[in-house]
Amino acid sequence: MSTTESPTAANKVVIHLRATGDAPILKQAKFKIPVTDKFAKVIVFLRRQLHRDTLFVYVNSAFSPNPDELVMDLYNNFGFDGKLVVNYACSMAWG
Amino acid sequence: MDMEAQNFLWKGAIPLQIHLHESKVTTLPSPPPALILAPRLGYLPLLASHLKPYFSSALPPGVDTIWFEYKGLPLKWYIPTGVLFDLLCAEAERPWNLTVHFRGYPGNILIPCEGEDSIKWSFINSLKEAAYIINGNCKNVMNMSQPDQVELWRSVLHGNFEAYQRVSSKLKLGAVGEIDDSGQVKQGRVPVRLYVWNVSEDFDDLEDAPPIDSWDKVSYINRPVEIQGEGRCFTLYDAVKILLPDYFVDKSLGTAESLTVGRDDYGQRISSKDASDDKKAKEEVETLCDDHVKASYEYEEPKIKLVRIQGIEPKLEIPFSWVANNLMHPEHFLHICVYLKL
Repeated sequence: MSTTESPTAANKVVIHLRATGDAPILKQAKFKIPVTDKFAKVIVFLRRQLHRDTLFVYVNSAFSPNPDELVMDLYNNFGFDGKLVVNYACSMAWG
Repeated sequence: MDMEAQNFLWKGAIPLQIHLHESKVTTLPSPPPALILAPRLGYLPLLASHLKPYFSSALPPGVDTIWFEYKGLPLKWYIPTGVLFDLLCAEAERPWNLTVHFRGYPGNILIPCEGEDSIKWSFINSLKEAAYIINGNCKNVMNMSQPDQVELWRSVLHGNFEAYQRVSSKLKLGAVGEIDDSGQVKQGRVPVRLYVWNVSEDFDDLEDAPPIDSWDKVSYINRPVEIQGEGRCFTLYDAVKILLPDYFVDKSLGTAESLTVGRDDYGQRISSKDASDDKKAKEEVETLCDDHVKASYEYEEPKIKLVRIQGIEPKLEIPFSWVANNLMHPEHFLHICVYLKL
């Protein structure tokens, strides 16, 4: 059993950032985050990087999770291969 | 499907007695509290259209952002009113005494709320998240026509169950656990939002439960439950144990192996060494259990003090598919409140 090899064994997952629409592309498109953090941390990180207060942040180009949801739950439900794909846009992209 | 239970839920409401926070009062005597019947499936800030005119004469001029508080705890606006009541009132308090604020939004505790638009956004995104869990994508929600989306939201806003059914049936999110035409149990994943209050001190009576004075004491867990239809009845108790793998050692389903996988997946404070120790300990317990049923108590299993869904405390042996199909919220999440004594 290779549970020690599993990406969450280190208690962190990789967030893959993808710009959508006219949002600027970040130099650092990936970062690691502890699974016990809330999704709010991802949003705050993006706001700081992009210097924007209004930002729309999605998972898998599909929905915008509640900021209180744990990264662990989002990864388990919607992530794969140790990563969670997060899309960001400066205007509403997927309603 | 029998709609009786859902019909009841949509009519469910909580009597509120809402006090204006003292520091906001500019008139003497301060205005009497507002009495209002709040829909269980609704959201507190949606009451602003009633409360603002009611308290307007007592408010100083300026920009208002409405928020609510219960016994000093700011209430999270995206949690449906009925769920807040179930979670925070161990013993039902009627009317429920809340304090309303129009200034001083606690941005460090609550995520920003810009009125109805924020709540609609949160609702639609929860619906998409649920659809993603059920179908593996949320195309049906994303491809909804604008009028349908508006009608869906309005049905929730006005508690109109017939209108809701008409629109939501187009989303094909279906029911789980029912027998289909070929005689097979329809399996599926049930989106669950779980609120777990870890009680440190024991109490016999719910009215003796200490108040929840901080959101840090409540774990907000989002995990789907896979309905396992084969063999035996999959109960609410089975679902609670699957939702809380860190607390329960499942004797009927759990080989020690699946237990450790589950734990490592959730990545919580367990090194592989601990896990193997755990495995050994658990095997010992299982042996003990075989000899002596009472041994299971010695394994310090946490005590479930309360499982409350939609104001109901269902028996834990009822089929989970019934719970999922009948007690879910309009955004297709099942919200479950659990009190755990560790």
